[in-house]
Amino acid sequence: MELLKSISAKLDLQQYVVYLGFLVIFLFFAITLYDDGFLTARNLSNIVLQTAPATIMAIGFVFVLSAGEIDLSFGSITAVSALAAAVVMQEHSMFFGILAGLGAGLAIGFFNGAMVAWLRLPSFLVTLATLGLFAGVARTMTDLRSIPVINDTFTGIFGSGSLFGMPSLILWTLGAVIIGHVIYRETPFGAHVVATGDNASAAQVSGIKVPRVRLAVLMISGGCAGLAGLLYAGRLQAAKYTLGESDLMTVIAAVIVGGTALNGGKGTIIGALVGSLLMGMLNNGLILMGLAVSDQMIVRGLIILLAVAISLRDTTR
Amino acid sequence: MKLKHLIAAASISALMLGGTAYAQTIGPGGETATPSSDIAVSDDKVSMLKSGGYKAALLWHDQSDFVNAVTAGATDEFTRLGIEVVATTSAGFDAAKQRSDIETALAKKPNIILSLPLDPVTSAAAFKEAKAEGVKLVFLSNLPKDYKHPADYAAIVTDDLFQMGKQAADALAEAMGGKGTVGWIFHDATYYVTNQRDNAFKSTIENDYPDISIVAEQGISDPARAEDIANAMLLKNPDIGGIYVTWAGPAEGVLAALRANGNKTTKIVTLDLSEPIALDMVKGGNVAAIVADEAYELGRAMAAAGARALAGQETPPFVVAPALTVKAGNVNEGWMESLRREAPDSVKAAAQ
Repeated sequence: MELLKSISAKLDLQQYVVYLGFLVIFLFFAITLYDDGFLTARNLSNIVLQTAPATIMAIGFVFVLSAGEIDLSFGSITAVSALAAAVVMQEHSMFFGILAGLGAGLAIGFFNGAMVAWLRLPSFLVTLATLGLFAGVARTMTDLRSIPVINDTFTGIFGSGSLFGMPSLILWTLGAVIIGHVIYRETPFGAHVVATGDNASAAQVSGIKVPRVRLAVLMISGGCAGLAGLLYAGRLQAAKYTLGESDLMTVIAAVIVGGTALNGGKGTIIGALVGSLLMGMLNNGLILMGLAVSDQMIVRGLIILLAVAISLRDTTR
Repeated sequence: MKLKHLIAAASISALMLGGTAYAQTIGPGGETATPSSDIAVSDDKVSMLKSGGYKAALLWHDQSDFVNAVTAGATDEFTRLGIEVVATTSAGFDAAKQRSDIETALAKKPNIILSLPLDPVTSAAAFKEAKAEGVKLVFLSNLPKDYKHPADYAAIVTDDLFQMGKQAADALAEAMGGKGTVGWIFHDATYYVTNQRDNAFKSTIENDYPDISIVAEQGISDPARAEDIANAMLLKNPDIGGIYVTWAGPAEGVLAALRANGNKTTKIVTLDLSEPIALDMVKGGNVAAIVADEAYELGRAMAAAGARALAGQETPPFVVAPALTVKAGNVNEGWMESLRREAPDSVKAAAQ
């Protein structure tokens, strides 16, 4: 045990756990499911396509967690955004649909952020409340009906289309990861987010406008959830009040396993991407293994627990 | 709500056209129902299927006792026909997950998919890929929008929805001695399965039992609110003789309200088997009867419809599995017939 500890300390295992975990699980599925289509290009691309909305939500979540806040409402924002886009596109052009979807996400993010930044309410409680509030709004918007999206250009751009042979959902994922990574790592704003999450009082003293950072991260999370809503609407060619509802746990797990600290001050966008792909790969591989649904849930839970235990061991000591 | 009206209108038209005393269960596109007992794979096709190395995937909407029984019925039939079940999934009522599950399962190249499409609109795109690859699709209770039989799917299989509502009405009327007042707690959502069952109860009471009147009607969308709804109903109608509850989950809340009010006379009927509801029934409490579907038979019929399609035999578009009324006297048999397993120990012990 001591030997393991010293090796893991030297290698800084925590930092790489998501990459190692990804590799080990990938190899495991590649070998055991060799004859079951796991390694086919179509299946591997399916994993990326299926995880695209969750990956984009995870990017927003990295910003929020890094700033020492949390956003529990992004699933509801996703549903409201998807429905807003679908409803608007029934009467108006795609442009207004996109505007409505992203606008709804940013507006709700602003609402969350304003409560946290200016009224100084805890983000956990604010977004717990808005999670329920906007889940209700999503249900009311269309009286629980699903709304079809029949605009082919929209479903191409946000769902089934491709550019130079690359599926649009993969392009959205790549674009969001690159932009998120650059903002997080290379800009003063990214540094302010991390500093705020690390020690808000020290950040305030050093001249960082902490309330503004808090408002911004919750707006980023809302905007990312809005974009995820558009991707869902494009992929399903329809919007429904349940979209995004079940992503909360997946996204939290992806981000934490990816190496972002739950209590702020440390995060990684690339880690969140790999964490999200890891979750998608687990879902995919466990289904292809032919396991019963309950067994899939148990195995997935155990693997996530193991990964989180390793990645958090350092920060919780 | 539009669909509910459409179904009501279609039911009335069916009634008038048929000239019979009752409406019947009709499919989502107005299809007439074929009993599930008619759906079987002919002997000459069995050996052909067995040698084909065929595969099936079961892509469910959720996990429950009901889904387990459907899975068991389907798996047993597939095993008999030499068809391997290569993937089983549960979407947890999430339309996006259902889409992902279909894509993932397609990597195993199944020849048949059995599934409950979560709703007509979102599932239309979700099943498109499977349809394009020539997978034989058999749907449980719901149909993706604009899908045509037999080109796009092999069959829809569901409960005998009308019979479930009608048998619930008959059982409640019997328990009330054919007279008194009734409360009707219906599913307040546009879902043709529950809508048909609920409306069948109502129309049977109205048409067949002139001495019973429905004095309270209340929709429910969240089962957790059933107790509040029942309390309000009892407050306004303290002498109510019976309550119909759209399914067993909310019926548990209604039962709790009756108990809290010390009410031992109001009878309850509901649909789908549930341990607490059955326990009250066998102990001679408020629950008069439970009407259940034959879930195992439903699964068997789905598998048979898929296999028939593979063998080039057409199946009628809309197939229904029978309903059965479960009372204190036949609770063990009812459990076995519906879910193909013994009744829970608590129920068996109380029944002795």
